[in-house]
Amino acid sequence: MRWIRFAVFILIVTVVQAGLVNIIAVTSLNIKPDLLLILLVFFAIHCNTSEAIITSFMIGFAADIIGSAMGSQMISFGLFGTLLAYLHRVIAIRKMPYQSLAIFITGFLAGVLAHFLNLFKDQPTPLNTYTIIFWTSLYSSLVGPFLFLPSAWWMRIKTYRFSRN
Amino acid sequence: MLFTWFMLAGLIFLLTPQKLTNKFQFAFARIFSWPLSIGRNISLSARMQQPSTDVVSRREYNKLQNHLTNVMQELLQKQRKIEKLSGLYDRLYALEGAKVMVADVITATINSLHSELIINRGEADGLVEGQIVLGDNSIIGTISDVSSRTARVKLITNPTSKIAVKIGKLKVDRLMQGNGNNSAKVQLLSIKHKVKTGDTVYALKKPGFLDAPMIIGKVAECKRDDENPSLWDITVEPACDIERLNDVAVIVMNPQE
Repeated sequence: MRWIRFAVFILIVTVVQAGLVNIIAVTSLNIKPDLLLILLVFFAIHCNTSEAIITSFMIGFAADIIGSAMGSQMISFGLFGTLLAYLHRVIAIRKMPYQSLAIFITGFLAGVLAHFLNLFKDQPTPLNTYTIIFWTSLYSSLVGPFLFLPSAWWMRIKTYRFSRN
Repeated sequence: MLFTWFMLAGLIFLLTPQKLTNKFQFAFARIFSWPLSIGRNISLSARMQQPSTDVVSRREYNKLQNHLTNVMQELLQKQRKIEKLSGLYDRLYALEGAKVMVADVITATINSLHSELIINRGEADGLVEGQIVLGDNSIIGTISDVSSRTARVKLITNPTSKIAVKIGKLKVDRLMQGNGNNSAKVQLLSIKHKVKTGDTVYALKKPGFLDAPMIIGKVAECKRDDENPSLWDITVEPACDIERLNDVAVIVMNPQE
């Protein structure tokens, strides 16, 4: 794992997620893809388990930095990123539809957990939370697999030779 | 083991008071204020682009572009002049004795879950929690967190925002609560009061923060409450397009200078 590249990459993506992604936001609910979620799944299925754990928590931390409260995304991304990495040792997630599905399920579960954890911090809980989480996960799952290739290029990861250790 | 340590770190962040953990978010916003502002401006300009059918010649385009550049430069100079004269500029008729602190918007998060801005003014500029924030001369929110150089603005559309308001010429006060989705709700108002779409909604004065009522929004929809038909269910939309604001003004009552 090239950690400096990883740090720079996450930093850029975090800044883009905080501002530029609004361009492709849709509907009145302002639904936009979660680039950090896409990267979470990317690293979980392209790195070994210990690297996946570190990247998951780091990406969660980045999501917290641009979110409303600290801690909730770090825990939810860390937990589901780790679970996905272990799952990937059993079931290889190579095809794009499976990658999409992995992004959708991870995004939805991580979103729900983060929502519950946010209750500890007295964060706003609108009625349509689950709708937003659902559509954000779906949008991310549609966009996500197409971003895997440039991510792999930047991280110098050979996608066809990933290990399952 | 690695997982346990990271999970512990996450729990520490989660259980630490938000006042302390906010420092990370404010530090990020401050350090990356430049790229964040650029990203925001690009996305705003992309959203504002209208499909154009009229085409002008390159010569005409250049001519107009040059004119625009000159006007922009002139505008910039005027803005600097206004800032210099802030002692006079900052005193509004309705806010005698108050100072209006102009701040740039670093990031804007406006969706159903969170409606907030991060601005580039903080404790060092006299900002404290609860102060009223204006955008295009209307109230858009209140300061909810401050660090030394940045502050978080909880918008009136935020689901946790509650502000005392009155509608039009009615003499009754009600609470307006954010609804997410760029609107707010006024409830518990009897249908015996006449309210119609387009009525102006004013924030009531709040000792120490606002000395006179100010416009906060307009009634966008007014219908009978589904659960209690003897009450109105009023939807209020902000008086300005908050998403497109590049700068805001914070009312600092009794400034210490």
